[in-house]
Amino acid sequence: MLRTALAGLRAHRLRLLLTSLAIMLGVAFIAGTFVLNDTIQAGFAERVTADAEKVAVAVLPEGPGERIGPEVLERVRAVPGVREAVGLVRGSAPLLGQDGKAVGGMPTTAVSIVPGALDRTTIVSGTGPGSDDHAAVLDENTAEAAGFQVGDTIRVLDSRGREHVFRLVGLLDPGLDQELAYTGAVGFTTATAQRMTGAEDFAEIDVAGDDPAALKPAVAAAAGAGHEVLTGEELAADLARQAGLEMRTLTVGLLMFGLVAMLVAALVIYNTFGILVAQRTREMALLRCIGATRGQVFGSVLIESAVVAVVASVTGLAAGYGLGALTLAVLGALDAPLPTEAALALSPETIAVGLGVGLAVTVGAAVLPARTATRVAPVAALRTQVEERTFRAGVPRVVFAALFLLAGLGAGGAGALVLPPGEQSSLFVVMAGGVLTFLGVLILGPVLVRPLSAVLGWVPAKLFGVPGRLAVDNSGRNPKRAATTTVALTIGVTLMTLISVVTASTRATVTDKLDEQFPVDYALMTQGREGGIPRSVGEELKDRPEFAAVLRVRDTAATVRGVRVRVGTYEGPISPKLVSGALPELAAGQVAVAAHAARDLRVGVGDTVRVGPGSGAVPLEVVAVVDDEAPLPTLALAPGQFAELFGDVQDSRVLIDIADDVAPERARAVVEAATAAHPTVQVQSSTEVREEFDQTLDMLLMIVTGLLGLSILISLLGIANTLSLSVHERARESALLRALGLTRAQLRRMLSVEALVFGLIGAVVGVALGLVFGWAAMRAMLEGAVFTASPWQIGLFVLLSGVAGMVAAVLPGRRAARASIVGSLAG
Amino acid sequence: MDATFTKTRHPAVVAEALTKVYGEGDARVHALREVDVSFGTGAFTAIMGPSGSGKSTLMHCLAGLDTATSGTVRVGEVELTGLSDKRLTLLRRERIGFVFQAFNLLPTLSAEENILLPLRIADRRPDQVLYDRVIDTVGLRDRLGHRPAELSGGQQQRVAVARALISKPQVIFADEPTGNLDSRSGAEVLSFLRTSVRELGQTIVMVTHDPMAASYADRVVFLRDGRLVDELPAPTPQTVLDTLMKLEA
Ligand SMILES: Nc1ncnc2c1ncn2[C@@H]1O[C@H](COP(=O)(O)OP(=O)(O)O)[C@@H](O)[C@H]1O
Ligand SMILES: [Mg+2]
Repeated sequence: MLRTALAGLRAHRLRLLLTSLAIMLGVAFIAGTFVLNDTIQAGFAERVTADAEKVAVAVLPEGPGERIGPEVLERVRAVPGVREAVGLVRGSAPLLGQDGKAVGGMPTTAVSIVPGALDRTTIVSGTGPGSDDHAAVLDENTAEAAGFQVGDTIRVLDSRGREHVFRLVGLLDPGLDQELAYTGAVGFTTATAQRMTGAEDFAEIDVAGDDPAALKPAVAAAAGAGHEVLTGEELAADLARQAGLEMRTLTVGLLMFGLVAMLVAALVIYNTFGILVAQRTREMALLRCIGATRGQVFGSVLIESAVVAVVASVTGLAAGYGLGALTLAVLGALDAPLPTEAALALSPETIAVGLGVGLAVTVGAAVLPARTATRVAPVAALRTQVEERTFRAGVPRVVFAALFLLAGLGAGGAGALVLPPGEQSSLFVVMAGGVLTFLGVLILGPVLVRPLSAVLGWVPAKLFGVPGRLAVDNSGRNPKRAATTTVALTIGVTLMTLISVVTASTRATVTDKLDEQFPVDYALMTQGREGGIPRSVGEELKDRPEFAAVLRVRDTAATVRGVRVRVGTYEGPISPKLVSGALPELAAGQVAVAAHAARDLRVGVGDTVRVGPGSGAVPLEVVAVVDDEAPLPTLALAPGQFAELFGDVQDSRVLIDIADDVAPERARAVVEAATAAHPTVQVQSSTEVREEFDQTLDMLLMIVTGLLGLSILISLLGIANTLSLSVHERARESALLRALGLTRAQLRRMLSVEALVFGLIGAVVGVALGLVFGWAAMRAMLEGAVFTASPWQIGLFVLLSGVAGMVAAVLPGRRAARASIVGSLAG
Repeated sequence: MDATFTKTRHPAVVAEALTKVYGEGDARVHALREVDVSFGTGAFTAIMGPSGSGKSTLMHCLAGLDTATSGTVRVGEVELTGLSDKRLTLLRRERIGFVFQAFNLLPTLSAEENILLPLRIADRRPDQVLYDRVIDTVGLRDRLGHRPAELSGGQQQRVAVARALISKPQVIFADEPTGNLDSRSGAEVLSFLRTSVRELGQTIVMVTHDPMAASYADRVVFLRDGRLVDELPAPTPQTVLDTLMKLEA
């Protein structure tokens, strides 16, 4: 049987090529993702190892945000065997830009740069501060963004907002430190760093010594409880793991796309083997006539699929390796903050996963067709013509499909309309509903194909004359085949539409809510979280005639019912969107709660919560539950009561609405003037914010679309495959048409139109599913979500699917047109 | 055997020194050797010969389905030699009708749609009078809405004949049109072919190996080993059989 299987493979080489390509692409993507991850993780490890070798033992605070007191350093220094021990300072110290405003969205982080053997900073140009208390270094990115060069004078604010002047003596590379890469870094001598951050304690103590293993317990004993003590090696492993976390999340995300691609590939494979088995009915029957058992026939089909799988997976692995290398090269060229220099890693795990997934998906998808092959009766060998099997929608199929559709749409509806929005579980229910509905469509597909091809083929049939009409007939001719072919495309288009709908709706929802509740033109913010806008700024602005309204919001962290929340107050005209209750003006003893917090605290209108710092909590009555998007504190109190409970807190944001007849430039000038004396106060115009937000969403849409492109590509291979198999099957028919006067061009056009109809069916079903579940997902994710879809984007998906289908028909069409009439007629 | 062949007056199709060679080197097969033959307008001619004598090859070359190795073919006043594929296709569309031994019809189309297919390909309107006449001659009026799978073999071939007639081609080529039929259905199809020659003035060239079928024709030409070896005017089954026996000997 092995020999027949191999002979079959050789005979159908070309036909199996496209299938192999589908598997190969899927495996390449998955393997490439692994290669990328492994290489980058290895790069992280390499980078930290070199640094960590300098450190024998490190002392770290136990919890995040905690510090190590200076007395610990003294005790560690006294441990025998400790050659040297230094404390590392770390804290906020906002760098001021050339315009006198703090640089970036977050204050830069000040770090101490220690002299001697324990220095782990990488100075890429210039020098370190050495012992010069008036010297500083910046990280490269911040220096470039703010336009500073070595030799310039820079100004930095200390913890009390006073300005200090330093000479920029060098630039450093923050390496794997995610915090420094995010906020930007400014390096000083230890003494200066302490002075600037206003903190005497340390983020880490590094120890140099000869025998880390022996030092570790001694240092731990000296440091005392509440500290974590690691050897240099352990520290390196820890740092590498932390640095690699995001990469790992990214890898999981990428693998999801890989899985979708493999699912699409599975459909393509299932279809190919289904068609091959159908075309070889007589061959199978002959094998059965001459004594092959059902098992042997089954086996021969599976062996064939296994050989295809192995060949495709091995090629896929190689391609994945190349893909990984290419991505690394691109990342390296783009200066991505990732280590791209490590040797390309093709681990045994990658090989195992690549081969395993390729083999499992291919052979798994071939099982059903192989089973069909065993059902061929031996007498079929004697029939001269293989009759076209007419498809009838059986009752079980319709019942099953109906069940799945009901369950799927029911779950989608429940998640969107019944379950509370904003909860993960709601979104999960909607997603499950999506999967069930998709399965329903998959089962019902063959029933849907004919009506859909009649409707969607109407225009092409009118447009393309005889070839058009024949093509539309052909597209509905083999409903099962057509359904599988188009569903493969549907997967990709559904997900694309979904993403398009979700981004468009998110955009609309956010904009809509902002406009509705408080039409903001300018927002004053500060770097970081806690307060930071002196109250005088808001007070000065609120009476300016240039502004129609000014809203001042301040809040602070507090614990309510055991939950950490932001408690605050606001002053200014705002009518926030309410979920329940009423909010005229808050009086003492009242509180308005944001929707998400109301859920977390399990309170509703009329309930009482105790709010206040520690023991000073007072009971307040909940008068309103406010929409999450409203620009208010999570728990809003009356201003007087807030001041009584929490004291004098600075504003955390001031939102400004310009009066109608005031030019934006003038308004801006007023705002700038009011904030000029406060470098950490940042002025954002809402158009800027929206632009940034739009760009982020567009970027997201682009990346996801690009990644889904792989699945779409594979489904197009499926269309090409189905067509070329059909071309082979209909060789005599095409020859007859050619004899009757159909030109080669017309024959090619016939196949393009058939592919066009496939593409349109796949796309239209995908768009419908994507719209429905995009809507449901929005409802499940956001309270009061506004549903919008971009018609041009979705129209583009449909159009491109049709066009791509036609492109997929080019090669099969050429083969069909080139076939000799006489030869095909005889066949 | 130097038979002298009739130079047909007003020939619809003329072949001169037609040679067709398949394959290369040792595998060379001369399917046709220097065949000179012509087929008169409004005549029903049968091509006969033993299996492998080149009958189908001759027909394919005459009909522009295949190109000859050397020699010339004229359909009406059009010279086929050197025509591009596109021109040949248009020539077939405009001037030639076909009836094949099997697989004449598109399975997705109804009988009526199959009959009108050549006209639709050529984007021509059917001549209603001719259409009615053809449908009535082949007796298919009550079967027009059926798909090929719902028709018997004889009915399918009658649909094929109707399709060939409907575009009023200069010549119809039929390759073993009764090869797959029982004798009664075969006789029906053959009489339709003859009726269409008599009543519609259609020119028909038919390849067959059945003396009975050949006897419906006005003239029979005989091939052997790719050469035209004999011809018989006004054939009867007996005279055809005799000539075949003589050739086999
Ligand atoms: N495509 C081909 N390739 C090679 N030889 C061929 C081909 N078609 C026909 N022949 C050969 O040409 C000769 C004539 O064939 P054909 O015209 O089919 O004969 P007939 O129709 O009289 O049986 C035969 O010897 C046949 O084997
Ligand atoms: Mg023949």
